[in-house]
Amino acid sequence: MFLIAMGGLLALLVGFLIANIRESLVYYKTPTEVVGDPAAATAGRFRLGGLVVAGSVTDSSTEVTFAVTDGTTTVAVDHVGTPQQLFREGIGVVVEGTWDGSVFHSDSMIIKHDEQYRTEEGGVYTPDSRYPTP
Amino acid sequence: MIAVVGFGGVLLALISAVALVVQGTRRFLADGSASVSLRLAVIGLVAGAAVAMGALEFALVTNDFSIEYVARNHARGTPLLFTIAGAWAALEGSIVLWGLILAGYTLWVYRRLDERDSVGAAALAVMGVVAIFFFGLMATAANPFTTLAQVPADGLGANPLLQNHILMAIHPPVLYLGYVGMTVPFAFAIAALVAGDGTAEWLARTRRWTLVAWSFLSLGIVLGAWWSYEVLGWGGYWAWDPVENASFLPWLTATAFIHSAVVQRRRGMLQAWNVALILGTFALTILGTFLTRSGVVASVHSFTQSAVGPALLGFLLVVLVGGFGLFAARGHLVASSSRLDSLASREGVFLLNNLLLTLFAFVVLVGTIYPMVLEAFTGDRVSVGGPWFDRSAIPIGLVLLGAMGIGPMTPYRIARPGVLWRRIRLPLEAAAVAAAAAVAAGLRPITVVATVALAAFVITGIARHADELARGRSGSYLGELARLPGSDPGYWGGMIAHIGVALVAMAIAFSGSFGVRQEVTLTVGESMSFEGYTLTYLSPFLREEPNRSVIGATIELSRGSRILGNLEPRLNQYPNQVQAIPTPSVRTGIREDVYLSLVRIDQGTATVTVDAFRFPLMWLLWLGGLVVFAGGLVAYTGRRKTSPIPTAVTSDA
Repeated sequence: MFLIAMGGLLALLVGFLIANIRESLVYYKTPTEVVGDPAAATAGRFRLGGLVVAGSVTDSSTEVTFAVTDGTTTVAVDHVGTPQQLFREGIGVVVEGTWDGSVFHSDSMIIKHDEQYRTEEGGVYTPDSRYPTP
Repeated sequence: MIAVVGFGGVLLALISAVALVVQGTRRFLADGSASVSLRLAVIGLVAGAAVAMGALEFALVTNDFSIEYVARNHARGTPLLFTIAGAWAALEGSIVLWGLILAGYTLWVYRRLDERDSVGAAALAVMGVVAIFFFGLMATAANPFTTLAQVPADGLGANPLLQNHILMAIHPPVLYLGYVGMTVPFAFAIAALVAGDGTAEWLARTRRWTLVAWSFLSLGIVLGAWWSYEVLGWGGYWAWDPVENASFLPWLTATAFIHSAVVQRRRGMLQAWNVALILGTFALTILGTFLTRSGVVASVHSFTQSAVGPALLGFLLVVLVGGFGLFAARGHLVASSSRLDSLASREGVFLLNNLLLTLFAFVVLVGTIYPMVLEAFTGDRVSVGGPWFDRSAIPIGLVLLGAMGIGPMTPYRIARPGVLWRRIRLPLEAAAVAAAAAVAAGLRPITVVATVALAAFVITGIARHADELARGRSGSYLGELARLPGSDPGYWGGMIAHIGVALVAMAIAFSGSFGVRQEVTLTVGESMSFEGYTLTYLSPFLREEPNRSVIGATIELSRGSRILGNLEPRLNQYPNQVQAIPTPSVRTGIREDVYLSLVRIDQGTATVTVDAFRFPLMWLLWLGGLVVFAGGLVAYTGRRKTSPIPTAVTSDA
């Protein structure tokens, strides 16, 4: 009897927590997923990840526009804020903001740290360890 | 050659662990008779683990790049400190450290083993099982002594983030002392279940061992937060990252146990609950190891994806099914029949504390594993935002803080209002004064005012009690005050830890509510004001250090006409990494920290952009962590007299 009551209480708590968590979730999408999903424009804030396309960067001190790609699809990004020193063409970024159907408006950018290590011979070694992005 | 020695050590430890299980079980079955010797097994385990660690360190220090681990995680230019720390900076080495610490704890438990101590013998056998798993990992999936056919001229060097700060040498071993230490209480709990030992004897010992592990875990968590603050440069110390949560979860349940164990000792209640808490704590450490070592979460802690992940997951299942299965089958043997006289009693507050701590742990657990479960089932990649955790943690934390203040004032069995009122009046007054002062000083968020009031309540309550006792004694007041902790180390150690927690709570509330971030762009020679300070960009700098090249900005910090010093936020470029690693520069002050993190530096236009942060009272966080650690150690020394063997007491200063 007691166990059933406790189990019920626990289930209720989990239900409550998960219902609550859903509002705080930040989704992560790739350019292909964004373009392929008509609901993305009304989805609110989410994160978009990809590589910065070479030649697409237009930089001013407070704003930067560029395009990110996942290899198949490319999406235009309009980012407000000073990009970090490490920001440059060809690197991986994760931007957070909203998608209006044609441009992604971002106000937060995380540089994905390059996982490539240089070796002595000039070759490239890629460990799977990644850089924390809190 | 050294690889053979090291691997030989791993094998010796593995064989000894098997022998420990066999001999421990035999000794348990022989009612703890010392005629079954565990000596060789324990010595073999310790020696094997020490040889493995020694060989790894030797290979690192002598640049032996024929060993793959060394070639991957070390380079000739790596400074000595980070060379030594390199032994735990990657997956395989960190498991060697785990094994060494486990062997150390095994020796410690063995040294305290009594003649006819069958529960202790069974506990050692359980520790042997855990050791088989970890040394088995080293012998197979996580072998640190794999050699390379072609020996490179130089290694790749450590992960740059891990050779950026001295804390890297301290934080992992301390955290492991806590994490691995939780194996000991687990072993005793399993042993008590197997033996059907319903006495409080196993519990007193288990609590002592938990205190050791808990103290180190507390310190390790705070050191990790400090590392994050000093190295990562995002302007914070805690992000509810799965890796941080992994260390926090067992801390919560172990804290709950330390408290509920007191109830069992004093009042003979909550026995079964205590066993469940210990099993849960150990399971959470294995879950945490799985999260941080398997690559399910991307972080600086998840080194590589390998067979280690599934192995740890399997071990977690064994612990959960085996531990709780045993608990279900034999829990009634250790369960108690005593009932609570009244909720308004010390036991009642302990119960509240336990409910809150387990609720807290449960919430953090759900938030940590939900994204993984969701991705496994739907493929959606999500992250749970920090605000969600904050929303749950703040109310739970505040109620806990309140319970922490009231608990020690509440008598056991039944709290008569008169007694309680006499003890609570002064702390309540202090809380009211502190709250009024906080409001008058312009502190607005109600959570901050509440934290200040509750911290004052907790600390005044403890001070009042100490004052009362010291006055009631014959010696000089200060002398008696200094002797108090020694008179009842278990209690006063706990009180010291409470003071530490109150300080930590203040630091969290202040830095969380009044932390300020501002992006500042300056050209050389230009000044700008930031929160009452003036930042002046003196010059950019470029330095070649043995293991890296550094580019940064020298920024002068002044307040009014007083120059406080130069801050040098920088980017470190390591030869083995394409991208540079930003490192912030922090000036710690009594009132607040000023924290600069380099965003962008442009030599051509001579401009620099930094993220400037101001965090009030950060030092309280580090100090509070140390105080909690000290309190745990004081409490530990106090349990010594209940130990089965009164060992030659080394007097504590």
